[in-house]
Amino acid sequence: MADFDAIVVGSGMSGGWVAKELCERGLKVCVIERGKSTIPTEDYTDMMDPWDYPNLNKVHESEEKDHYAIQSSIYNWSADTKHWWVKDSEHPYETAEGTEYTWRRGYHVGGRSLMWARQSYRLSAIDILANKTDGHGVDWPIRYEDLAPWYDHVEEFAGISGQAEGLEILPDSKFLPVFEFTCGEELARDRIEAKFPTRRMIHGRCANLRRATPEQQALGRGSCQVRNKCHKGCSFGAYFSSVSATLPAAERTGNLTLMTDQIVAELEYNGDTNRVTGVRVINRNTKATKTVTANIVFLNASAIASALILQNSKSAENPNGLANSSGMVGRNLMDHVGGAWGSGRIPMTPELTEKTTYGRRPNGFYIPRFRNHTEEGDGYVRGFGYQGGVHRGGWSGDKSGVGKDFKASNQTPGDWYISMGAFGEILPDERNRVTPHPTKKDQWGLPLPLFDARMRQNEINLIKQASKDTVELLKAAGAVDIRSSEDYDVQPSRPGNAIHEMGTARMGRDPKTSVLNKYLQSHDIPNLFISDGSAMTSAACQNPSLTYMALSAKAANHAADFYEAGEI
Amino acid sequence: MTDFMLMQRRDALKSLLAISAAGAMAACVGEGKAGDAGTKRLSSSPKLLPAEMALVSAVAQTIIPKTDTAGAVEAGVPAVIQSLFTEWGDDNFRSYWRAGLDNLEQHFLKSGGQPFANMTSSQQANLLGKYDAKAYAEQGFDDFYKSMKSTIATAYYMSEPGATEELAYEAVPGEWRGCVPLSEFPKTWAT
Repeated sequence: MADFDAIVVGSGMSGGWVAKELCERGLKVCVIERGKSTIPTEDYTDMMDPWDYPNLNKVHESEEKDHYAIQSSIYNWSADTKHWWVKDSEHPYETAEGTEYTWRRGYHVGGRSLMWARQSYRLSAIDILANKTDGHGVDWPIRYEDLAPWYDHVEEFAGISGQAEGLEILPDSKFLPVFEFTCGEELARDRIEAKFPTRRMIHGRCANLRRATPEQQALGRGSCQVRNKCHKGCSFGAYFSSVSATLPAAERTGNLTLMTDQIVAELEYNGDTNRVTGVRVINRNTKATKTVTANIVFLNASAIASALILQNSKSAENPNGLANSSGMVGRNLMDHVGGAWGSGRIPMTPELTEKTTYGRRPNGFYIPRFRNHTEEGDGYVRGFGYQGGVHRGGWSGDKSGVGKDFKASNQTPGDWYISMGAFGEILPDERNRVTPHPTKKDQWGLPLPLFDARMRQNEINLIKQASKDTVELLKAAGAVDIRSSEDYDVQPSRPGNAIHEMGTARMGRDPKTSVLNKYLQSHDIPNLFISDGSAMTSAACQNPSLTYMALSAKAANHAADFYEAGEI
Repeated sequence: MTDFMLMQRRDALKSLLAISAAGAMAACVGEGKAGDAGTKRLSSSPKLLPAEMALVSAVAQTIIPKTDTAGAVEAGVPAVIQSLFTEWGDDNFRSYWRAGLDNLEQHFLKSGGQPFANMTSSQQANLLGKYDAKAYAEQGFDDFYKSMKSTIATAYYMSEPGATEELAYEAVPGEWRGCVPLSEFPKTWAT
């Protein structure tokens, strides 16, 4: 008899959802996390004031260089957030010659659901049909209508702030109240929409509890206190994470076992029954190995780690690893492409002079995709969206002046500034992949990841237009003194830089060209499911976590249905 | 704030303390031009020496003087800089600062006839004001000074008096209001 009904590998964004749904369906679930436990009262650093930090909250220079050469390029890197990121010195990886990859992650309960930027957007019917429409990649085996009820389901639980707009390109979620625009954003929106009638500037949609519902409060979560300290961990549980929401929900069923510090080395497989029977784990501290067994296995370890676990699960009958008869495991690695950005000053109007903001909103504005939708794109398929904000300038030491005048110039809020950046879609391409390194191993004897991914012509053409459009939009908003990517040789961002890796075990209709079916179940092995970013058939240009949540809830409930029916 | 904006904020913070090889070179060149420092051996002490601290304090207080609120010294800025020097930075950082401070001191010895810290506050304001104006008007005139000034300002506005008395600070705003009258909240938000 198996130890558990189900094993979930990974406790992050998607694993937390699978655990919650399976536990609530009555299954005994073991979540296996390679990192340490997360204890909010010890690990969250959100209760400190600016003057509490030694050395201006900077990570020691030599420590940063020696141990965090890659992770330290994250936008919210500081001494009080560094513990959320792995030490590169302990967790190396390789890249194929002539390629680069930025792999940022943290190993602890909750994974990157603790560090995410919380922007939450549905994919549209247009996105789900994109591969079929333009012939890149393979067709999704589901349609928007299949996903919509699962979006509803996860949004009501997670809590997404936003405003309904009725846009075809960006379907509305079930929204909590919106984080209102600043007066600068209201003006910018009016000007942009007047100049470009088919472009919209809307409120950012984020997984922060603008007003916590009774369901959310019952889990110990409170409304957002508007501190913008989310990346330190939120003691109010006001933004969605596995730690604030899904794992407590799983825990209260009494069906959850959470195993920390255990690295999944490979899946155990029985060729006679064609089932995975469990996982072999290595204790990250003692390096002791053991096997944990279950009737169902879910991989939610991230698009990189899940693909590696499958490829490392080799045997004579499965020389390319498990669930890989298609050869697609590890391929079609996608992310989002950046590299188009800009900012500028919005000259004062009588209205703007007299206005300011109160609170530190953990959110901004969003401009949904308009290229290859309402307006043609120049030499590429798919599109991009923008995130940004309009705020009054704060204090600065980077300007001339000394004495009382310098002090006074910082005491009064400055001009209004707009800034924005694009996130563009990356096409699925079989050549972009991650494989186990043939010779190099980590300290646990597991092969290092070997990345071989590039930004290709479609991404390059797309980001070049996104850069030009940035300046056009800033000008339309009335901005002057514009600084943008157009001032430089516009280049796409490095693969992995958006921390949206996905696609390495894609869903599809044909077992010959895809890894998962429409239930996110392996085509090859019926009791194996994968519902992290690996499952994505195409990337769209929206931040993907909300879709991982919906796919995970959907997959978990299918698995529970099959399990109850005795089919798996 | 969106992740994109945080990214910009982070870049700004990073640049405060950034030391490039080019920057260190520039400081050395400036030092040579300013006086006899080129032939003098600078200290390799892991701490800023009393004379160096006196210069740091005087420059900080000249940039951010005491008014009806604390100045840089009252807000503890010199101690933060000493801590960055002893606890945070590496040898490259220390030699960059040491050379940069020496260059500044040589300049003021030449233009004011005595160490900057010994001057009257009006002389300090006058001489530093001119130097500051030149640093921002002429690219590459003294990148160290600009980096030091940014660090002083960051240390001041992150301090308790800087954040809560000079500027406005709410640890827990509790609410978001996107468009409020400036008359109600007339000060810059500290963070």
